[in-house]
Amino acid sequence: MDTATTVKRYHKNQKKILTKTNIMLYLMITVPLLLYYVFKYIPMPGVIIAFQQYSLAGFKYWVGTNNFKAIFSTYFFWEAFRNNWVFVGFGYFFVTPSPIIFALLINEIRVRWYKKTVQTISTLPNFVTWVVIGGLFIQLLSPSTGYINLLIRFFGGTPIFFMSRAALFPWLFTFMRIWKGVGYGAIIYLAALSGIDPQLYEAAVIDGANKLRQVWHITLPGIRNTILVLIVLSFSHVLKGFFEPIFVLKNPMNRSRSEILDTYIYTIGILQGKFNIATAVGLFKSLISMFLLFFANFLSKRFTEDGRSIL
Amino acid sequence: MLKRSTGEKVFNVFNLIGFFVFTCLMLLPIVFVLKQSLDIAIAGTLNISLIPKSPSLVFYKMVITEESVYRPFLNSVYITIVGTSSSILVNAIGAYTLSKRELAGNKFMIYFLVIIPMLFGGGLIPTYLLMRALGFIDRFAALIVPGMASGWYMILIRNYYWSIPNSLAESARIDGAEEFTVFFRIILPLAKPVLSAIALFAGVGFWNTFMSAIIYMRDPKKYTFPVKLREMILLQNDNDQQRMEDMLQSMGLDPNKFFLTAEGLSAAMMIISMIPIILVYPYLQKHFAAGIMVGSIKG
Repeated sequence: MDTATTVKRYHKNQKKILTKTNIMLYLMITVPLLLYYVFKYIPMPGVIIAFQQYSLAGFKYWVGTNNFKAIFSTYFFWEAFRNNWVFVGFGYFFVTPSPIIFALLINEIRVRWYKKTVQTISTLPNFVTWVVIGGLFIQLLSPSTGYINLLIRFFGGTPIFFMSRAALFPWLFTFMRIWKGVGYGAIIYLAALSGIDPQLYEAAVIDGANKLRQVWHITLPGIRNTILVLIVLSFSHVLKGFFEPIFVLKNPMNRSRSEILDTYIYTIGILQGKFNIATAVGLFKSLISMFLLFFANFLSKRFTEDGRSIL
Repeated sequence: MLKRSTGEKVFNVFNLIGFFVFTCLMLLPIVFVLKQSLDIAIAGTLNISLIPKSPSLVFYKMVITEESVYRPFLNSVYITIVGTSSSILVNAIGAYTLSKRELAGNKFMIYFLVIIPMLFGGGLIPTYLLMRALGFIDRFAALIVPGMASGWYMILIRNYYWSIPNSLAESARIDGAEEFTVFFRIILPLAKPVLSAIALFAGVGFWNTFMSAIIYMRDPKKYTFPVKLREMILLQNDNDQQRMEDMLQSMGLDPNKFFLTAEGLSAAMMIISMIPIILVYPYLQKHFAAGIMVGSIKG
C-alpha cells in the first residue's frame, strides 16, 4: 500500500463516526466530559431549590417566588448588593485605568534593568493569594503593631484602626486591588505599546509635536483597541472574584461596607443552613451575570475590529 | 535616536524617581511582614526601623513544630502535587480530541466544556449539596477532582497542538502508528512548552486553594495552608498568647520584656506561603502571555 492511499484512507475514515481511531479519540475526552457533567451540569437544576422550602433535611414543599420576596425585603441583601456594585464601580474608575497609566509611564523609561526590576516586583503580587495579600495589609494597618500606625505615632499622631472604619473600606480595598494587579495588568498594554510603529513618533517630532501630543495622537489611539476589548471582556465577570478578598478582609466592624453577595450567600447558606434563601440570592446573581455576559458579547461583536464574539 | 528636549529630561528624572517610590510602596507590605516574622518585639518601644531589632527564627520554628500549622502546609503541598499532575494529564489528553476539527461532536464538546458552563451554573449551594451527597466533605477529593478538567486549559493546549506541523503525525500514521501512539510519542513530547505553562498556572492555583477549602473542609486537620493562615490572621486568641509565653520561657527570655505576637506567627506563615510562588516566578514570567489569555476570558 503506498503512502497516498494510507493518508487518503485516514482522512476518509474521519468522516465516519465509529472507526477505531475515533473511538480512541472519544475515549481520550471521556474524563473531562464526565467531570464536567458531574460537577457543572448536575448542580445546574439545583437552582429550583430557590422556589422551594428546603432545609438541612431536604425538600419540604414548593413556595413559588416567596424566597425571592423574602430576600428582596431584607435590608442585609440590599446592603450586600449595593456594596458589590460599589466595588465594581471603584474597579472601573480606579483599578481599570491604573495598569494603563503604569504602562504609559514605564514605557518612557529607557534604562533597561530599572524597567525590568520595577516590572518584576510589581507583577509578583498577582500570583499571591488574597489571603496573604489581605494578611499583609491587615498587619501593615494594624492599630497596635502596624507600620503605618507606628509612623503616625512616631510623628505624634493618634493611631487609626483602619480596618474597622467601615467608610474607609472601599478605598482600602481598591488600593489593595491596584497593588495586587497593576503590574500584571500592564503586561498586555506594554505588548500593545511595543507594537506601535516608531516611525510614527519620528514623523510627529519632525512635525513639531511634543510628548503630550505624541501620547494623545499616537500612543493612546495605538492601544485604544486593547483597552476596549479588555473592558468589554470584563463585563462578563464583573461580580466574580470578590469572595476571597472580602472573606479575609471582612470583620464585624466594617461588615456594613464590606459584605457582598457571595459572602452573604455563604453566611446564610453554609453557616446558617438556609439553603433555599441562599440559592435564591445565587440565582438572582447569576441572572445578572448572564445578562452582562450577553451584553458584553453584543458589545464585542459591535466594537471589536473583527466583530469577534466571546461566546 | 531622537534628541530630547529639556522638558523631556525633567520628566524622565521625575519618572525615574516616581517609579522608585512606587517600587518602595510595592515592597513595603512584604518587607514589613518579613520583619515581623523575624523579630521578637520588645515591649513598649516605638521602633520604625524595618530591620529586626532582636532577630529570631522562633516563628518559623513554630510553623515547623506546631502540628496545627504544619499539617495544613503539608495538605497544601499534597493538593498541589496531585492536583497539578492529574490536571495536566487529563487536559493534555482531552485537548487532543478537541484538536480534531473534523471529528463528529467537536462543536458539541466545545459548547459542553466552555460555553454553557460560562452561561449557567448551579451556584454555591447546589454544588455544596452535590459534594455532600458524594461524601466529599472533609476529603481532599473535593479540592482536586472538580478542578481537574478545565475547558479553557484544553483550548489553550489544543491551539498549541494545531501549531505542530501535521506532517509529523502523518508520517507516523503511515508507519502504522495508532492514534494513542501518535499522541503519546509525537504530540505530547512536542507540547512541553504549553504543558509547562499550564502546569505553572494550575500549580499556583492549587497552592492557593482557599474558597473551596473554606466551604468543604470542616475538620481543622484537613485545612489548606491559606485557610489556616486566615484563621491565624482573624483569631488571635488567648490560647495562642499562652503558647507564645510558654515558648518564650522555654527559650529563657523574660515574657515581660519580650513578647511574641500571634502576628509574628501569621507573618512567618505569609512568607512561607509566598516562597513557592517566588521560586517558580522566573518560569512563570516566560508564560505570561498564555496566562493573560486564560485570565482575560475566564476572569
